[in-house]
This record gives sequence, structure tokens and C-alpha cells, in this order.
Amino acid sequence: MGAGAVTCLMFVVVALNAIAAAAGLALFAVAIWVAVDGYKLYPISGVSGKDDIFAAAWIAIFTGFAFFLTCIFGIFAALKRSRALMLVYLIIMFIIFLFECASAITAATNRDYLVGNSNFVKKQMLQYYGQDSTQGKQITQTWNRVMEQVECCGADSPEDWMLYNSTLKQIYPTYNWPLSCCKRLSTFELQNPAGCKVGLTSTLFTKGCFNYIESVLSRYTWAVSWYGFSVLMLVVSLDVF
Amino acid sequence: MKTSLPSLQLLFIRVDSYLPDIFLSTDTSQVDFYSRIYLHPFYKMKTNTVIRWMSLLSIWMWTGEGQIFQPELTSNAFLAKVTSNTVILKQPYCVFNQTCPGCEIWLVAGLCSAKGTFDALVNSSTPNILSLSPYPTAFNPSSNNFFLTRVGLLSDFPCNQNPNDQYFVVGADGICSGVNCNGVLPDGSTVCFKYLLIDANGTLVNSSDWSGNITLPKLLALNTISDGLSARSGAMVVITTILCVAAALLLLLFLIMLCVTCCTKKDGKKISVMNSIRIPRYDTHNLKERVHPYDNPAYQPDLKNYSTSSTLPRDGARKL
Repeated sequence: MGAGAVTCLMFVVVALNAIAAAAGLALFAVAIWVAVDGYKLYPISGVSGKDDIFAAAWIAIFTGFAFFLTCIFGIFAALKRSRALMLVYLIIMFIIFLFECASAITAATNRDYLVGNSNFVKKQMLQYYGQDSTQGKQITQTWNRVMEQVECCGADSPEDWMLYNSTLKQIYPTYNWPLSCCKRLSTFELQNPAGCKVGLTSTLFTKGCFNYIESVLSRYTWAVSWYGFSVLMLVVSLDVF
Repeated sequence: MKTSLPSLQLLFIRVDSYLPDIFLSTDTSQVDFYSRIYLHPFYKMKTNTVIRWMSLLSIWMWTGEGQIFQPELTSNAFLAKVTSNTVILKQPYCVFNQTCPGCEIWLVAGLCSAKGTFDALVNSSTPNILSLSPYPTAFNPSSNNFFLTRVGLLSDFPCNQNPNDQYFVVGADGICSGVNCNGVLPDGSTVCFKYLLIDANGTLVNSSDWSGNITLPKLLALNTISDGLSARSGAMVVITTILCVAAALLLLLFLIMLCVTCCTKKDGKKISVMNSIRIPRYDTHNLKERVHPYDNPAYQPDLKNYSTSSTLPRDGARKL
């Protein structure tokens, strides 16, 4: 092999490693954003024990940072032209690759389970809203905040509260749906308490909250999953070189 | 008991007495204008039919206006009009037309299968209708399956008003314990209602018809919601397959590379690089003529530089 080709190859490897290091650092940052859960929807996945999206985010934090360090090591090994170092670099890269694979696949699969359709979220809401346990309090708080901020009621519509037996119905039999479903004035008072109780459509929110919850959890998942996938494709192309 | 017939006759008389007044006027200009119309022969023929049509129209308006004889569901589009254990009815405006000072309107709410039971009990003139079937035990298996609850004073529901935005919720008190409290209906049953007019002494004065059957939807249990995995999204399948394939490819590549590095190192030990020590080299293998295992053709030109031809064999086939 000519010296020129070797230099060109080394240049390519160094450049790809630099790009991969930057990508690894970005993955680290995105995974931190997901783990921090700015939308505060963790209880919806945490209460039922299906918080793998957030577990995948934690793994992605570590693998992102490890990618960053390993790529810098790879630049060093390529410049030193040491075969042994390159071998070590490839082995470490492969191990991190496997972990990141696991993270991406876990996040995507768990998202399908949680928000594939509205049944899971609906059942959890009916079961835990208003319940006096710690999980019940968390779910009640989360749903109250979502219903008031996003201006929605129930998973698909307020009818969810009427069709199914729920903890709320057992505890407060005269209320058809929680008060968070009612429209409020800017002073936080109810606009029309009697109208909301009977279901006058101009006094309560009639759209469902599932679309919002699904969009947030999907956003988290695709951040970890697709971004991890793209970093891994970059690493594969790097390894082929 | 229907009170419509006498009032219909009254209606006819009233309408007939109205019409000529509409068309008469004291204003002379108007009289001239109208007289031109009225004295037209075609118009004279038409007045009788006009009177007939207007009276019919008034009858239709009258019956549609609010003379209800049975409890009805509210006409508003409330979401909770009919739930599994409550019903929202119109308020009883203009149900009972008689004057009855101090009378109250009460509602009988019960299973439609208990209509006969209630009517029989009323006809046998039991002394105290109001405590016939107290709410807490009303829907027990061997009970009467109806209960009575107070709606309001007769004077609160006059005939000349009929606001459509008023409603009455049956079941508003939840699971209560009073004798005549407005408790919830049994889940998923078919219910019928009837209005009663009770006077101040507690005796029945009048009653309306039974309402139509209203079927309450049955409340579904939570375990009917199947929250298992619904469907795998396309993105998840793509990510999983491509990542698994890529991981397998990388592993393969890695193993091939390992193999290549290991194998080339082993062959290198056999090839001896040119050195300055002159040692005899022995042919330990039975080789054919064309093979030169100990001579590296790449370094052949260097042979002349580093050794004399007499000490080292040129090719392994021709032995010393």
C-alpha cells in the first residue's frame, strides 16, 4: 500500500472519530434531557413498573459519554499507528455498541407497550386516580396537571369516566368525572360547577389526554432510540474503515 | 287524567275571536289599504281557510309548547344525560294543570317491571304513599323496586314558563339513607318514571303517565380493558432488525480481522529474514521442484548483496 493511501485512510479515520466523539457527546446530552423528564410524566410509566424508556435513557447517558472517550482514544491510536491500540479501541467500541443497541431497542419496545393504544394509560388512570396509596397520589397529581394544562379530560374523552367502574366512582359516587376536567376562570375558580357536573359541553374539556401523553413519551423514545441508532450507524461505518 | 279536551275547545273559541281583531284597524290609511285587499273576492274566499289553518297551527304550537303528561329526558345535549346510575329529566313544568295550593310534585323512580306493583299499591288506597318504599331498601331482591322523591312545589312549575335549561337529576344524592332521598338507580337497569301530585296532607291528588323505558348502560369492570401489547410500531421493528444485523456484521468483521492477524503472525515465524549468520539450512519436507519454501522471492535481489552464492542454496530442490 502506498504511503499516500495510508495517510488518506488515517485522515478519514481521525475525521470520523472526531465526528463520532461529537455525536457521542450529543447523545449524552439528549439522554440527560430525557432522564430529567421535563414534562413530568414519569409516574405514568413508573407506577406500573414499565419505566424502561427512562432506563434506556440512563444507559444512553453512559454509552454516549463512553463513545466520546473511546473516539478520542481512537484518534490517539490512529495517530500513533499502533496495531495493538487499534485492536483495543475496536474491542471497546464493540462492547459500547452492544450496550447502545440494547438501549435503543429497549426504548422502542417499551414505548409500544405504553402508548401503542390508549388502553394501558386509561386503565391505569381509572384504577389509580383518587386512590389513597403513594402510587395513587402520584397518578392523581400527574393527571390533574395534565388535564388542567393541556385542557383535556380522560384518556379518549370524558366518557371513559362514565363507561367504566373506577376508584373515583367508588369514592365520590355523585361526580361523573374529576373537577380538573372543568373549565376554569383565570382566578382558578370553576367556570360553571353545576354545568360541569351534568356535562354541559361548553363548561368542560371534551378532548382526550392520550394524544398529548403519547406525543411526549414518543418524543423521549425517539430521542434515545433514533439518535442512538444514527450514532451506531456512524460507528459501524467507522469500524468498516 | 287528561285535561286537554276542554282546553282545545277553549282554544278554538279564542282563535276565532282573535282573527277579526287582527284585520280590523282604526287607522284610515291602513283601512283603505286593507279594504282593497279584504274586499277582493279572492281574499274573501280565503279567509275561512286561513282561520282554519291558523287554528290548527295554534293547536300544534300549544301541544308542542310544554303540555307534557309524562316525565321526559332533558332536551339539552348533556354528556351525563343517561349514565349507569343517574338520569337527567326535564323539570315538571305544566304537567299538572290544576290549582292546588300547597301541593307538591313527587317523582316515582323505579324499574319498569315494578310499574304494575306501584299502580296496584296506589289503587288499593294505602294511607301513606310517601313511605311505601324507602330508598335504602328499595332495590333489594324482594323489595318493591321503586322509590319516591320530592321534585318541588306545584307553584314552582307554572304553565306559562318552560325554560329548557332547567333540569332535574335523578340520583343526585348518591347512595343516601333517607326514606325519600334522591338516590342512585341500580346499575344497568331499565327504569321508568312517573310524576305524582301530593297535597299538603300527603294524599295523592293526581298522577301523570309512566315515562318510556330508559335503559341505563351497564358499568364495565376495569379488567375488560385489555392493556397488553397492542401492536409493534414500524419504527421499533426497523431499529431492532437493522441494529441486530449491524451487530452481527460487526462481530463477523471483528472475528475475521482477529483470524487474519493471528494467521499471518504464525506464517511469519516460518519465513526467516535474511541474516548475516551463515547457517546451513535443511530441507525437512519432501518438496516438488517448483516450490521454494525457504526462499522469499521478494528478497531474491537482496541475496547478491548479503551473501555469496556458494554458501546458500538458491532453491531447495537442488540439494548440496
